[in-house]
Amino acid sequence: MIEVRGLTKRYGAVTAVDDLTFDVAPGKVTGFLGPNGAGKSTTMRMILGLDRPTSGSALVGGRPFPRLAEPLRAAGALLDAGAVHPGRSGRDHLRVAARTHGIPLRRVDEVIDQVGLGPAARRRVKGYSLGMRQRLGIATALIGDPAVLLFDEPMNGLDLDGVRWIRRLVRGLADEGRTVLLSSHLMSEMEQTADHLVIIGRGRLIADASFQEVMRGQGSGRKVRVRTPSTDQLAGALLRRGAVVHPSGDGELLVEGVTAEVVGDVALEEAVAVHRLAEEHSSLEQIYLDLTGDSVQYRVAGAPELVAQR
Amino acid sequence: MTAVAVREPGTPAVFGRAAAAEWLRLRTVRTTWWCLLAAAVTIVGIGVIMAYDADDVYATGELPPATAAGEFGVMLGQFALLVLVLLAVTQEYASGAITPTLQWTPRRGLLLAARLTVPVLAATAAGVLLALTADITAWLIADLPFSPGDVADSLGRVAAVLLAGGALAVGVGLLLRSTAGALATVFLLQLVLPFLLPAFGVQWMADLGELLPGTGAIWMLLGEPDMTAGQATALLVGWAALAVGLGGASLLRRDAG
Ligand SMILES: Nc1ncnc2c1ncn2[C@@H]1O[C@H](COP(=O)(O)OP(=O)(O)O)[C@@H](O)[C@H]1O
Ligand SMILES: [Mg+2]
Repeated sequence: MIEVRGLTKRYGAVTAVDDLTFDVAPGKVTGFLGPNGAGKSTTMRMILGLDRPTSGSALVGGRPFPRLAEPLRAAGALLDAGAVHPGRSGRDHLRVAARTHGIPLRRVDEVIDQVGLGPAARRRVKGYSLGMRQRLGIATALIGDPAVLLFDEPMNGLDLDGVRWIRRLVRGLADEGRTVLLSSHLMSEMEQTADHLVIIGRGRLIADASFQEVMRGQGSGRKVRVRTPSTDQLAGALLRRGAVVHPSGDGELLVEGVTAEVVGDVALEEAVAVHRLAEEHSSLEQIYLDLTGDSVQYRVAGAPELVAQR
Repeated sequence: MTAVAVREPGTPAVFGRAAAAEWLRLRTVRTTWWCLLAAAVTIVGIGVIMAYDADDVYATGELPPATAAGEFGVMLGQFALLVLVLLAVTQEYASGAITPTLQWTPRRGLLLAARLTVPVLAATAAGVLLALTADITAWLIADLPFSPGDVADSLGRVAAVLLAGGALAVGVGLLLRSTAGALATVFLLQLVLPFLLPAFGVQWMADLGELLPGTGAIWMLLGEPDMTAGQATALLVGWAALAVGLGGASLLRRDAG
């Protein structure tokens, strides 16, 4: 169980994390989602006491993490897989971790096997691939058999096999009743992985709901795609009906707020030819973009604007 | 998984584990061994050279005690040992390994205590052993006068220099977090400025030089310049305390790294 309450972090003028409050429940994989720079890593670092919050607090298993005598037994984390002394072997890195908690050497070899690091564990970390560093980081997170796990973008840069492996791992950990918080900036990584989503943008909470709820909540905002030679005339008429209209190139309009029937009727009234008319269901990625759209700090230049202002 | 209520270890036990981990950290990187090798070559090597040089002095009848070998050796060789201590601190900021370290020992006061104790004591013990080796080498090879009382007194002063220098290195390392910056600072304070400032022949520069920690170290090892044992001790302890105070505050208050 992780409890985040009013967590805020400012770096000078930048508010990286802005009054975040949410819980992460045990027995589930909670996806922590947001565009790059949304504040995911900063939040995780504050939960672990690495960065000091400007205000607010976070509890891990009911207690502030930085006060724990045996923190690795409460929570394990993979934040930055590269953050290991390059001159030490993977196994020695794990031995140091074990020694801080009086964990026996047997357990070190156990987690090395569990993550499949094998004989590479005795080589220096300097020569590890990203995938091997991720595995070492995960072994470190698991060594204290903790009830809470935090993984910051663990799939970043991994090949498909690596991604599948992480999916199975986090599913297994959650099924054992552990609390799993898994961050990503890609909605696609959450499909088949997360049971619950905490979505943030610009440091603020955007959604805290089950995966299905997020899908359904946005599914109601269906869109209608219509192709016509008279885009301006049809767009004007639809805007007067209260619809939101986006041009979508090639003589097409993307219409929100009215049904396909209404679009067809309006076209008939205006005596405008319609060459295509279809309802569109949002894709997972689209839902995510819609949710976080306002929060993305750097938009791609030339993004579509409204045809006309209401 | 089932939650099992385990009684948490007390602060002394947590410190003991942090210190044991610190010791393992030190042993499992090659830089430690390279630094020790460099220290051994410098401290004992200088001792042997001193011993051979002493042959020339035979004619005049004026023989330095064997302890001069270890003292000259440590004057130069201390830097290999201070680099060992410094890297134990700054390498973690360079590699990012401070992040896992603080996850395993999030009670930063305990981490500070362990990081101050283990590398500094290890470097001091190594330096004292090497100085003793240099003394004995000088005695055996060059037949320099060797008395157990002298040696004990000399090794005590060597230990004081290394303890204070090590604490200075830990403090500066924690404060600056950069290997290059901390190395330059320690080197300037401990060796370069104390020798350089008086060399300009400008009074205020010489006075300034006498306030630096390196001047205390030079007095401990070479008996120069003119100052009392109390003044030299005050320089060593004062600078070490200042550095540990500032560096410790930085570790306790600032974000991990
Ligand atoms: N140490 C820091 N100093 C200044 N700004 C920072 C620092 N760390 C993060 N930030 C800023 O805080 C915001 C959130 O960053 P981060 O938590 O890394 O986001 P995410 O992990 O979601 O990509 C970004 O705008 C980033 O530039
Ligand atoms: Mg991040």
